[in-house]
Amino acid sequence: MAMRHLKDTVTAYAMLFPALFLLGLFGIFPVGYAFYVSLHKWLISPGDFVGFEHYKKALGEPQGALLLGAALLCLSLGKLFSRPIESKGRHSPRKAALVSWPLICLACALFLLGARYISQHGDPRFLKGLRITSMYAIYSIPLQLTMALGLAFLLHQKLRGKGAYRTILFLPYVTPIMASAIVFRSLFSPRETSIANRIIGFVGLQPLRWLSEDDHVIQVLGDITGWTLSLPVWIDAWVPSLALASVILYNIWVYVGYDMLIFMAGLTQIPPELLDAASIDGANSRCILRHVILPLLSPTLYFLSMVAVIGTFKAFNHIYVLRTPAAQGTVDTASVFIFDTFFKRNNAGYASCLSLLLLVVILSLTLIQRRVVGKRVFYG
Amino acid sequence: MKKKNIPIHAMLVFSCLIAMLPFAWMLSASFMSRGDILTRQILPQVVQWKNYMDSWNQARFGLYFRNSMVISSLQVFGIWITCSLAAYPLARLSFPGKNILFLLILSTLMIPQSVTLVPNVLIVAWLDKHTPVAWINNWPSLTIPFMSNAFAIFFLRQFFAVIPGEFWDAARVDGASHLRFLIRVVIPMSKAPLLTLGMLSFMGAWNALAWPLLVTNTPAWRPLSVGLLNLVEEAGIELHLQMAGATISVLPILAIYALIQRQFTDSIIQTGIKG
Repeated sequence: MAMRHLKDTVTAYAMLFPALFLLGLFGIFPVGYAFYVSLHKWLISPGDFVGFEHYKKALGEPQGALLLGAALLCLSLGKLFSRPIESKGRHSPRKAALVSWPLICLACALFLLGARYISQHGDPRFLKGLRITSMYAIYSIPLQLTMALGLAFLLHQKLRGKGAYRTILFLPYVTPIMASAIVFRSLFSPRETSIANRIIGFVGLQPLRWLSEDDHVIQVLGDITGWTLSLPVWIDAWVPSLALASVILYNIWVYVGYDMLIFMAGLTQIPPELLDAASIDGANSRCILRHVILPLLSPTLYFLSMVAVIGTFKAFNHIYVLRTPAAQGTVDTASVFIFDTFFKRNNAGYASCLSLLLLVVILSLTLIQRRVVGKRVFYG
Repeated sequence: MKKKNIPIHAMLVFSCLIAMLPFAWMLSASFMSRGDILTRQILPQVVQWKNYMDSWNQARFGLYFRNSMVISSLQVFGIWITCSLAAYPLARLSFPGKNILFLLILSTLMIPQSVTLVPNVLIVAWLDKHTPVAWINNWPSLTIPFMSNAFAIFFLRQFFAVIPGEFWDAARVDGASHLRFLIRVVIPMSKAPLLTLGMLSFMGAWNALAWPLLVTNTPAWRPLSVGLLNLVEEAGIELHLQMAGATISVLPILAIYALIQRQFTDSIIQTGIKG
């Protein structure tokens, strides 16, 4: 028996070896190596050890990063304090709130202070990249999920040609990104006769510069309508340029079909008896949507939003194709900036440092998303 | 058709039109002459099949197409082999260190490509210098680093784990080893997940842009994606060639999708539900 166990172990490791070797060499080792590279002046070939110089260049002096770290710590402490009281079954949510709410408020305050410090002292180009990445996520994800949910509702009934609709709407997702991005580049080109301009021409609008427009959307709207609207600077910074808005449109076009497919699968999992029961109890359709369907769809919604957030942080190919010099860098996300740092400026040290910082941002975001949103998800 | 369904159909048809519009423009522009482009036509005056010949030969899309095909196929076969081998013991054998290894593999799912990009270029450059094989500007650098990934191992493990134990009992009585059982029984029973995984990996390889830009600087092993990017960056007015190139890069993917559509959408839906 022991003999066979040993044999199984040897077989198992022999079978695992090729995959583990490749994964170790090109998947795990590079993370450590990236840290090593980020501590050096590293242009085309390795140079002097510079310690945390690159990190200082990206974030300013350590105070800002420390504040952000403290904010994360407070947030997880706040959750830690609230949990045992809940799980012991002693119903004292008030006591829990007494400890956890101040901690969460403190976390927010620390976060704002840290973010302000970093935004004043860090590398403005990298921070702009992060801001554009966040805008990209904030504007595209809710839009794309709402539209997908709407389409899934429309298709979730007996309908002729259902399969054909589904296949057509899913097609953009399987289309190679480079090809569709090039087509969008031509659709949204600033020429007066581009397809996008012809379409808005039908409604009598003047041609726009789309992917080459670095002015933000509200300003463009103002130019069309003749209103002038002056916004405070901090809102102004969070309005996407028309170029970024066009990229967001592309993103929606690609992912709506995929999201719709997953939503449809989620909808088929809802037992029809529940809906019948609710309507017998006199719930109207809005009520059913709000209190029966959406809670039961929340795991799907959560899964899709996680996938979408990670996707926007990874987004690279289509942005690289869709950006134009005239957009003045208003579509360059953090990953594009990191790539340029390495590819165009050959600065491996700084690029490694920035990519590790991006990893930290992604990890904290997934952590926060799991803590804050994950708790509200209703698993049947 | 019921009457109350008409507005629903109208909305769906409208969405499908928007989804199809870019394809229509791509095809239409790919058949235009230079004159059509300059005079801003919507449809070609005379269909120019010549554009496809031009982009295939002059813009070297024939070479890029071959490169993309070879690179993507090698990646798919590599993933099939290494990840089936790795998924089998994780699904069906018990051995010390199994859980830790599985967690370690899963943890790599969290690491985005932009983190491993820079160090991997340095690693490949090192390998290029210190091994007899040429890595830079050659197929090994474009394929070998991607021949194993955590998602594939996880995905196959889920399917291998639900194959009933009786199959293994019967195979063992016949004197089969684990490897033989994997090749003769498990893999033939897992055609659908393997096809889906193949399609996803093929799409991933076909789409890759950042990595090939970094490890190739001659056309010899340049894939379609880089060829398309070059066409965009240098030739503004050659829109018809861009669109012909885009069509060339879309066709194989859509062909594969048409062949395995059912299995593909089903498996995609399953990953969504489990998540």
